[in-house]
Amino acid sequence: MKYRLLALLAVIALVAAACSSSSDDDTATTVASGGDTATTVVSGGDTATTVASGGDTATTVAPAASGEVTDIDFWVAFSDEARLGFAQDKAAAFNAAHPDYNVEVTSFASYNDVFDAAILAVDSGEPPGLIHFFEAATRQALDAVDSSGTPIFKSVTDAIAGRTEILGETVVLDQVVSAARDYYTVDGSFYSMPWNTSTTVMFNNMDILNAAGITEPPATWADVTAACDAIAALDDGPSGCITWPNHSWFVEQSLGQQGELLGNNDNGRSDRATEVFLESDGMMAYLDWWKGLNDAGYYTYTGLQRDWDGTSNAYLAEEVAMLVYSSSDTTFFDTNATFTNQASFMPSNEAVDYVGNLIGGATIWMLDGMDTTTEDGALAFMNFFSNPENAAAWHQLTGYIPITTSGEDVLAAEGWYDESPNSKVASEQLAAAANTPASLGALLGNVVGIRDIITLAIEDILVNDVDIATRMATANAEANKSLSEYELLQGG
Amino acid sequence: MLFIAGLVIAAFIGVFYVWRNTTNPSIRRYGVGSAVAVLGASVSPIVMGQCSFAEHTSSVDKLLGYSLMFGGAWLALMGARTFWDRADGKEKSSAAVAGEIRTGGFRLGVWVPWLLLSPTLIILIVFLYFPAASTFALSTKLTRLGAPKSIDVCFTNFTELLIANPFLLVAYPLIAIGLIYAARFWVTHSLPGTLSRRGADAASGVAALSVFVALYAMFSPGGLDANGLLHVAYRPVYLNTIIISVGIVAFGMIGGLAVAYLAFRPIGGGSIYRTLLIWPYAISPAVAGVLFFMIFDPTAGIFTHVMDTWFGIDVPNYRESAILAQSSIILASGWKILGYNILFYLAGLQSVPLEQIEAALIDGASTWQRFTKIVLPALSPITFFLLVTNLTYAFFEVYATIDFMTKGAPAGKTSVAIYEIIRVGVNNGELGRGAAQSVLLFIAVIAITMWQFRTSGERVSYGGS
Repeated sequence: MKYRLLALLAVIALVAAACSSSSDDDTATTVASGGDTATTVVSGGDTATTVASGGDTATTVAPAASGEVTDIDFWVAFSDEARLGFAQDKAAAFNAAHPDYNVEVTSFASYNDVFDAAILAVDSGEPPGLIHFFEAATRQALDAVDSSGTPIFKSVTDAIAGRTEILGETVVLDQVVSAARDYYTVDGSFYSMPWNTSTTVMFNNMDILNAAGITEPPATWADVTAACDAIAALDDGPSGCITWPNHSWFVEQSLGQQGELLGNNDNGRSDRATEVFLESDGMMAYLDWWKGLNDAGYYTYTGLQRDWDGTSNAYLAEEVAMLVYSSSDTTFFDTNATFTNQASFMPSNEAVDYVGNLIGGATIWMLDGMDTTTEDGALAFMNFFSNPENAAAWHQLTGYIPITTSGEDVLAAEGWYDESPNSKVASEQLAAAANTPASLGALLGNVVGIRDIITLAIEDILVNDVDIATRMATANAEANKSLSEYELLQGG
Repeated sequence: MLFIAGLVIAAFIGVFYVWRNTTNPSIRRYGVGSAVAVLGASVSPIVMGQCSFAEHTSSVDKLLGYSLMFGGAWLALMGARTFWDRADGKEKSSAAVAGEIRTGGFRLGVWVPWLLLSPTLIILIVFLYFPAASTFALSTKLTRLGAPKSIDVCFTNFTELLIANPFLLVAYPLIAIGLIYAARFWVTHSLPGTLSRRGADAASGVAALSVFVALYAMFSPGGLDANGLLHVAYRPVYLNTIIISVGIVAFGMIGGLAVAYLAFRPIGGGSIYRTLLIWPYAISPAVAGVLFFMIFDPTAGIFTHVMDTWFGIDVPNYRESAILAQSSIILASGWKILGYNILFYLAGLQSVPLEQIEAALIDGASTWQRFTKIVLPALSPITFFLLVTNLTYAFFEVYATIDFMTKGAPAGKTSVAIYEIIRVGVNNGELGRGAAQSVLLFIAVIAITMWQFRTSGERVSYGGS
């Protein structure tokens, strides 16, 4: 009897192990990119679906529709309700206005997941129409080819071919603000349609700063250090003073501010970058300052690389007085801060002339090989997605900059900037940047791997107290090896 | 030239193998032995186009080439040995075996068993052997997901994980093997119960540890070598893997047995209690990571908050200290596997012979003596089974837990082999490197399992008479 029980338990355990290990795998893949499970959401409320399915309503609403509905898959790298929800709402609105089309939004956990899935989908012959991919990997997107060696993305400018209106939607590509247009223009061609675009700004807890006798947000590194000295002297001050995520984007921003290049050939803009510079003076100056803040107990390191949540929580919990962050969360901080939250420019090195901050964010890439009807639908959707009203709504929802000048006009007319002055800081900072290769930012191959090398080295410097120059020399060797291998496999 | 030299050495290995493993071998047997060895040795160089012996390759590449050749020769000889043993009458021929178990089914034809096995075989080939072979092929390439071309790099993906000195690479394992044989020699030449035997037993333990030390010394600490090859700092990854896996297995199994032993006692509501104990097993590694993150996170953690507000203790950030970070991974992963171990130990405890315990009780054995002398040996098959499954878990399923809790922090101190494989191979898209590291982990798991089966054969008691 007891042996039978033992055997039964063993069987149950094995079955459970099999089940759980398969589900673990699922979770693990998602977790790798740190987000929710990929979910497919068919956009379009009830109305849109009824319309599209060609019921009674459809005949009245769209008599021109031949009954054929063209599907356009739009793969988005957001999984949070606000930003994914925005994409779904706009897709539904587009579908309602264009009954012949059905834009279907699919959510992925990260940009890399979207990109890898798109490459595999191209190979298996069922590519999506549009994908959402991040700025620094523009080189990687341009290099992506299918099995026959043809690039998988098509230039949006080429596809629009000078039209000012597609399927009744006004083309807004030419209204994109210059910071974004300059960033994404490679070899003279504007390939992808910008969507979420931000820059780094600093959020200041003015209650703490005022208590420490500081009336204006610190503008330079020296100002930050001085402010931290004052805050540390407070009796009931926060445990730290400042934080930001250990993400390579902040390093790249600082290099842009100081006019240093990250890659050769003008940051990879006059020709492909074949070399990276992780030991430049600008890099050393930034890391010296960062390490100094850390050693003085002013900089709070959450202990995780690319930790957006931890740093944001530390700021909201008033464990630090200042947070250098993406402008994408301006609205979030304005809504959730229980103190006076003021946005300001990212602090810069007072020892060198300020050159300019760069953008961050992502664009929508259009896959090549669609028939004209589908392609026009995709183009119309992209232009609809960033039309003045939508661009303004997107900015108000998040804090990403209004991507078109027409969007800015809508917001100015509404009086939005007077109402939420913090929202204007990102656009102002980008407008203040000089248009040089350094402040445009680098276009590098294997940017994910190189960024990983940078953040790992910085973590080592912050936590393990290793020498900055020695550690960055190693990182530089690793990054250059990584880039040269990428160029070997993918360069021309 | 180097390849030919390798074949000649392989031929000698064949002769040596025949001499060691067969009684009264004939000249013909020696000939066949060396031919089999040469054949086995030439497989890998032919498949890989003798790339490791090309002019520009480093001595470590050549060393790896030779290891693969001689490994192939050894495997071929082991295969040949089964035939020789049968011919020598040491092993029953298949006809004799078939005669013993002759049933109606097999008389239908040779193809029937194959037909019956085919679903399993197809699944194995499609989902196991083919991906495994692809991984081996990938590990010799420089390639990326979606890249239009890939470049054959021979053993570079492996060489860059090892130290650059070929002599030390040979010397370290030889020293470890020498120590093991010396300890074994001492054990067999000392009498049980003497001081000498106790010393010999201790020496065996040290010798076993020397294998881990040798491997540690063989993995590269990183940096450029004389040939300009940038090595991967794999030594810390190896060390992290050892610390974290041993920690998880020790915590999971000792804790599992302790809890199961306590829960096995007759208590009111015992069945509900025992069911609840098994629950953590139903949680995925990712969720375990999130739970412990929520408990210990320095900003938002429950534990941190409670310690701070109630006791005024400032809990340090677990992700900034190597010991704390590794301990928290061990705690989270060990806790997750705890339920599984409890389940098996609870079942196993039911099969402990009550008569023996009663007899020991009458003889005046204490609780501790009864536990160590009767319960533990009776549980040994389950312990062995759990050791294998827990090690597999600790090697392969901790990625999600680590990714949520530390992402390898501080500076790679919690980056274990599987985490590194996914970071390099999937996140950074360096498929060849990731594949090479997978092959390494694959070899490690096979070696550990083989070692477990060997050593546990002596210690595991399956009961019965």
